[in-house]
Amino acid sequence: MAESTPKLRVLKGAEPDLSAATYQIHDESHTIGNSLRWMLMKNPKVEFCGYSVPHPSENHIHLRIQMYDNMSSLDALLEALDNLDKLCDTVENAYSQSLATDSYERWDERS
Amino acid sequence: MSSTLSKSLLNPRRHVGVHAERVSDVSSTEYPGHYPNEDHSWDLEKFKEDLQVKVQRLSQRSVEFDLVGVDASIANAFRRIMIAEVPTIAIEHVYVWNNTSVIHDEILAHRIGLVPLSADPSLLDFRTPTGFNATPNDRNTLVFRLQVTCERAPKGSGKEYINDEVKSGDLVWVPQGEQEEVFAGSPPGPTNKDIVLAKLRPGQEIDMELHAIKGVGKEHAKWSPVATASYRLHPLIVLNPAQPVPAHLADKFAACFSPGVVRVAPGGAVSVDLAGMRKDSVSREVLRHEEFRGCVELKRVRDWFIFNVESEGPYAPERLLPEAVKVMREKISSIRAAAQALLADADGDVPGEATSKDTDGDVEMGDS
Amino acid sequence: MNSQNGAGNYNSAGGFAAPQRQDMEYLCADCGAKNEIKSREPIRCRECGHRIMYKKRTKRMVQFEAR
Repeated sequence: MAESTPKLRVLKGAEPDLSAATYQIHDESHTIGNSLRWMLMKNPKVEFCGYSVPHPSENHIHLRIQMYDNMSSLDALLEALDNLDKLCDTVENAYSQSLATDSYERWDERS
Repeated sequence: MSSTLSKSLLNPRRHVGVHAERVSDVSSTEYPGHYPNEDHSWDLEKFKEDLQVKVQRLSQRSVEFDLVGVDASIANAFRRIMIAEVPTIAIEHVYVWNNTSVIHDEILAHRIGLVPLSADPSLLDFRTPTGFNATPNDRNTLVFRLQVTCERAPKGSGKEYINDEVKSGDLVWVPQGEQEEVFAGSPPGPTNKDIVLAKLRPGQEIDMELHAIKGVGKEHAKWSPVATASYRLHPLIVLNPAQPVPAHLADKFAACFSPGVVRVAPGGAVSVDLAGMRKDSVSREVLRHEEFRGCVELKRVRDWFIFNVESEGPYAPERLLPEAVKVMREKISSIRAAAQALLADADGDVPGEATSKDTDGDVEMGDS
Repeated sequence: MNSQNGAGNYNSAGGFAAPQRQDMEYLCADCGAKNEIKSREPIRCRECGHRIMYKKRTKRMVQFEAR
C-alpha cells in the first residue's frame, strides 16, 4: 500500500456542518459497528444511525449518523465511544466482582 | 437465583416469544422516541444498577456465566472478540530439513500450526510489515525444533518401535536472546502433549525448525484462544394458571421438556422454577400437542445471555472475558483518537485544506 | 506458498555453473539398500534383486507456511 488508510474518514456527500455524515472506519467489523450503532441510537439527539459492511473483502465498515437540529454527528460519535468505554469498564468490574466473591460450581474437566 | 432477577422477568418487554413455527418480538425497542413519555437514552447509572454478571460454573477448561442487562450487540461483540480478536501464539513458519515420513510436508506443517501453545501472548510483540518487528527476533518469535527418528525397539522391550508416533510433546522450545528469562515463569510448549502429528516406521525421520508468532483468530483459526465461545438466551416457561395441565397428562407434559425442567407433584400438579427453565432446550415439543394448547407459553429473555466459553490455549477460561473487554476498549480508544483528530481538523486548524469556507464546522472529505 | 531457500548457497560458483555432478543414489523399495542406476544397465537392487527404486529426498531445506 502506497499510503496507509486512515482509521476514520468522512465520506463524500456529508453535510458541511456534519449534521448528517457517513463515516468509514478502517479495520473494523460488525463487532464495533453494531455496538456503536446501538449506543448512537440510545442518544436522543440522533435522528438515524445505521452501519454496513459494504463488501466482505474490504476491511472497513460504514457508519451513517443523522442528527436532529443540525447538531454535529462527530460529537455524537465521540460521546458514543466514551459511553461504550464506560459500559465495557462496568461489565468488566461486575464480572471480576462475581468471579472473586460469588459462590459458583467448580468442577473437574479432563481434556 | 436472586429475586431481583425473577421479579422483572415478568416484564413483557424483555420477552422474545417462541411459537410453533415462528418467533416474535426479537428486536429490542427501548430507544429514545419509541415509547411516548419514556426516556430510554443512555444512562450509565441505570445501566450499572440493572447489569448483572454472575459466574455459574467454572472448570480448568471452561466457564459458564450470565450476562444480564445488556443489548445483543454488546454481548455479540464480546463473543466475536473472544473468537477472533484475542491474541495467541501459534506456529506460522515451518522449515523442513528432512521429512521421510508418509505424511506430506504441507499437511504436516498445517497440522503443526494448529497445535495450541501455552506461551503467554502478552510477552510477545505482533510482527509488523515495517520497522523493528518486520523481521524475526526474540521479541516477536518463538523457535521450536522437532527432531524425531523412528527405530526398531530392542527385542524383549515389550514394544515393536521407538518413536513410531510423533506427538506435540516432542516439540522442543529453543529460547532465543532474552527469552530464557522473559518466559522463566512458564516455558512455552503445547497445552496438550498427546496430539499425534505423524506416524513413523523404522528408518523414517522428521527434522524441522518451527517459528511461532503472535496473531489473532480473524487471520487464521489457529490463533483463536477458544474452542467455543457462545451464548444462548435464558428460556422462560410460563404456565397458564387459568388452564392447568390435566393431572393425568402431567407426565406426558413433563416429557415434552428437557430432563429435570418440569416437576410433577405426587397429586399430578406440574411446576417449573427458574433453575429448571435454564436447563430447557426450548424444543417446542409441547406446542405440537393439542391437549396442551393454551396451558403454556414458551419465551426467552432478550437481555439475559448465558455464555459458555471453552478455553483452548494459553488463557485460563475465566480470563477470556476480561481479555475480550480489554481488546474492545483498545478498539474504542483507537477510533476515539481518530475521531478527535478529525474534530481538530474540522475546527479549521489546517489552512488550505477545508473544502468549504462558510462554517467553521466543516471537515475535509475524501472520495467515496 | 513454499519457496526453496538456500538453493544458491551450496553453489559458490554461482551463475550458470551446473551443480557438481554427484553419483545419484537410490533406495531399494524392498530392502532399503543404497543403489546406483547407470544407463544401459538393468535397474535391479544389488542386495535383493528388487526392481523398484526410490529417489532420495532433497537435502535442501524447504519452507512452508503452517496454514
